[in-house]
This record gives sequence, C-alpha cells and structure tokens, in this order.
Amino acid sequence: MKRRVLSYVLILWIVLTINFLLPRLLPGDPLAALLDPTNSDYVFDAEVRAALEVYYGLDRPLPEQYGRYLLGAVTGDLGRSIRFNRPVGELIRTRLPWTLLLTGAALTLASLFSLLGGTEAAWRRGTWRDRALVVVAMVVGNAPVYFVGMLLLILFGAELGWLPLAGGRTPFAHYDTPLAAAADIGQHLLLPALTLTLALLGSKFLLVRNNVVGVLGEDFMFILRAKGLPEGRLKWAHALRNALLPFVAHLAAHAGMAITGAVFIETLFNYPGMGRLIFEAVGARDYPVIQGAFLVVSTVVLTANLLADVLNARLDPRLREA
Amino acid sequence: MARHRDLIFGLALLALFVTIALLGDVLAPYDPHAFVGRSLERPSPAHPLGTNDAGQDILSELIHGARISLIVALGAAAGTVALGTLVGGVAGAAGGWLDGLLMRLVDVLMALPRLPLLILLASLLGTGLFQTIAIIALLFWPTTARVVRAQVQSVRRRGYVRMARNFGGGTGYLLRRHILPQIGPLIAASLVSAAAQAVAMEAGLAFLGLGDPTAKSWGLMMRFALNLPGLLLTDRWLWWLLPPGVCVTLLILALAFTGMGLERTSHPQLERRQ
Repeated sequence: MKRRVLSYVLILWIVLTINFLLPRLLPGDPLAALLDPTNSDYVFDAEVRAALEVYYGLDRPLPEQYGRYLLGAVTGDLGRSIRFNRPVGELIRTRLPWTLLLTGAALTLASLFSLLGGTEAAWRRGTWRDRALVVVAMVVGNAPVYFVGMLLLILFGAELGWLPLAGGRTPFAHYDTPLAAAADIGQHLLLPALTLTLALLGSKFLLVRNNVVGVLGEDFMFILRAKGLPEGRLKWAHALRNALLPFVAHLAAHAGMAITGAVFIETLFNYPGMGRLIFEAVGARDYPVIQGAFLVVSTVVLTANLLADVLNARLDPRLREA
Repeated sequence: MARHRDLIFGLALLALFVTIALLGDVLAPYDPHAFVGRSLERPSPAHPLGTNDAGQDILSELIHGARISLIVALGAAAGTVALGTLVGGVAGAAGGWLDGLLMRLVDVLMALPRLPLLILLASLLGTGLFQTIAIIALLFWPTTARVVRAQVQSVRRRGYVRMARNFGGGTGYLLRRHILPQIGPLIAASLVSAAAQAVAMEAGLAFLGLGDPTAKSWGLMMRFALNLPGLLLTDRWLWWLLPPGVCVTLLILALAFTGMGLERTSHPQLERRQ
C-alpha cells in the first residue's frame, strides 16, 4: 500500500510539472500574450498585469519560477483569475462543493441501480427484458452526455415544467430554514444528477451484468444450487458478491468518467461547479483559472483512484501484498 | 450468431455514414456555409430540416457533419493506434527498464482526468481540425499500448515462438511471422474503439467551443442551436438539436457494435460466457 501511495504522489508531481511546463513550452505562450500590448488578449487592468508578472515571476530564471510555483501549489496559492481579479483558490473553493455534490450523487445512484439491475438482468440472461436492458444501456452509455441532458431538460424542464431549467439554486433566494435551502438545492440537483447517473449507468450496468453472468458459470454456483440454497441468497449473497471485485476495481475509472460528464452537464445546466468554471475560463482565456482547476480536478481524481485502490485491497486479500 | 449480428449491424450503420460522407456534395441540397434562406425557417420542401439562425440549410450541415466526424475518427484512431502499438510493442519486446519506464508513463496518462487535460491542451494549442486530432491521439494511446504490450509479452513467451527463435529466427522474421498476426485482431479492435472515443471527443470539444470553429461538425451544430435563447421552449429543437445528437449517437454506436463484434471474433471464448 505504501508503494501505491508513493506512486500517486509521484503522479501528482508529474501533473504539477506538466501544468508548469505546458504553457511555457507551447507556442503562443498565453502569459506572454496577456502582457503584450499588441496582442488581442492584452490585460488592460494595470494592477492585474502587475500581479500577474509578480506572481509568475516571468523575468526570473526557470528553476526559480518552478520552485515558486511548487511552493504556491502546496500552500494553496494558485494565482489570480484575470477575469474576476480574485485568487483562483477562492474561486475553486466556492465551486468545488457543487461538483462533488453532483458527481457524488450520480456515482451513488448509478452504483446502486447498476448493482441491482445488472444482477437481475444477468439472472434473466437471454430473455427479451435482459436484451432490451443491454441495448438501452449501450445507447444511453454511448450517447453524448450533454445530448441526453438536453432531452431530459426538454422533457422535464420545458414540456412538463416540473424541474428548474438551470442553475444550482434559485437566484437571490432567501431561505428561512436549512431544510428549505436543502429542498431548493436538491430540486436543482435532480436533473443534472439524473443525466450523469444515466451516463454512468451505461457502462456500470454492463460491467455488473457481464461479471455476474461470468460468476453464474462457475462450479461453486452449481454446487450451491444443488445444495438447495434459496434463489435470493444465491443471487445476492453469492453471485453479486463475487462480481463486486471488478466493480470496485472500476470505481476509479468511473470517478474519472463522472468528472468528464460533469464538465458537460454543468455547462449545459449552468450548474455552478468546477466544470462550468473551466468552461467559462476557457471562453475568457483565463489561463490561471484553467490551470488551477486542472490541478484541483486532477488531485480529486487521483485521490479517488487511491481510495478505490485501498478499498480494493481490503476486499481482495490477494492484492494486499502487492 | 450473436457476434455476427453485432458486427453486421455495426458495419452496416458505419457503411451508411461513410457513404453519406463520401457523397456529401451530391446528397446535400445546398452548400452548408451558404446563406440560402431566411433565418430560423421551419421545415419545408425547400429545407427539409429548416434553416439555422444564420439562414444556412440544416440538412446540408448535417450531411457535411458526417465528413468532419469521420475525418477526425480516422485520423485520431490511426494516430492513437500507431502510437499505442509502437510504445506497447517496444515495451513488450524490450522488457527491462525501458518497459518499466514506458509503462509508468502509461499509468500516469491513464490516471489523469482526460477531459480537463484535453481542455487545457486545446486552449493552449488553439482550435482546428488538426489540433483536435492530435490532442485526442496524444491522450488516448495509453489504452492501446497497455493491451498491445500484454499481448506481445504473452506471444513472446509461447512455446512455438521460443522454438522459432532457438532455430535462428531473426527479430524481423518473428515479428512478421508470429507476433504481428497475433496482435492484428487486437489492433483492429483498438482502432475501432479509439475511433468511437474520437467521435465522442470531437463532438464534445466542438460543443464546448474548443473545436475548429469553421468546420460544420455535429457538436458545433448542437452548440449553436443551444446558444439560441429559449430554444428548448419551442419545438425548434426537433429539427435543429435532435438530428445532430441522434447522428453522433448512432455513429458512436455503429463503432461500438463493430468493436464488440471484432472482439468476439478474435476471442471466441467470450461467446460461451454470454
């Protein structure tokens, strides 16, 4: 386990270095463009320009810049947003909880539905219901997530008018009780979370189904059945349980998928999370924000990877030594 | 039978899209860039899917979109698989420290969240069809590399390959005669799954405004449609938003089914488990 943690620290350091080197290596250095009066991206606010120059220390030698950058990243100083003229760290702090709420809700729902549905479908493999579910999972899992989101928006938001069309909560709302606040946030969360759940469900459902089908062919299942174990115990205590390992092993990959989906969904639903922040920053060429957000999102995904590894090792004794 | 059904369905749908892309100039009623009607016309015999806000024919845009998607799919998949096969092949054949180094690189790239990295690269490299292809290939090759490496390693250890080497078979001969035929089907399957991911990513980047702004792609069509205030409150989405969305989904599905079919053809043992 120590080696796993170390390798993640190494990967994080590589991410930090990529983030430092990319803008300096690539043509059309964005920071140079921001400080060049002849360029269209020129920053007119003298104060911001000065802050940028000092923060990035562009006149200093590269190793010193790198050292300052690493120190800043470790202490949470991610530079200043050009557009908002506020520290990037502060922007991210207000946005990150929304994304964690959205991805957390969707991952939980998708895991629950896929474990139940996948096992049931595998149990009835070959029937028309199983086939229909597989086709639906293929379609929903492969359709662009923002397209699925648009269709849900049209149906529940515009046609039926049941749910709000955009945002994380009602603008300028004043809540009397924490409960009212939670209800409003929940109502706004429902459609984006449902969209992301569907997107994740596609691959999760197929994963569980195919693994349970694999377990069903094992000898021990045959013996347990011959022993006269009731159907329910066979299904949940033995078939599903043995298909759990690959499910947990894929949790990290699904966390990455959830982040990708969140970028699109937050853009579509105008949801105030990290994805929306990245999208807005790209539109405004706000490079410090893009880079800061990339760093934070990478850290979150790497942490999820590490947690999945720990969980996996706890479940599977064979992995504990590795 | 099931494996052939997947493959046939996928290939037939794919062939349809390729035909549309190739015959685009003949099939499309108008030049997709030309302003041929009033703004936001409803469907009519002259414009079966109406016109967009700029007065361009939506059906023509849709037909030309197939070309963009397939160009990116082909280019990015070829780049992904070429890089992946090269790295995976070298790592699998060389072993030792080179293998270790290359596989750590693969680990790093696979652990990173792809879309944020894609966005970072796209915003730095600028927008264009070539950049889109290059960025996708640069980020997606590790999957192929991992599979190819595993297969090369396993083939190299097999008895008949070791025997052939002991009888004096050179590296070139072993590659040509034994290793390449064994990884061929794998490469074909990687090519198709990389193409599916490339179609999705191109549409996604265009939707986010990070694609080539002059290429009439399906993702860009959806972006422009959605930018029209209140689009979802009218029925305009039916002919403006729905068709490109359905096309992207169908093309990705065509590639996914082809990939599944290919995988089953090269691994008959999967068949029994279904």
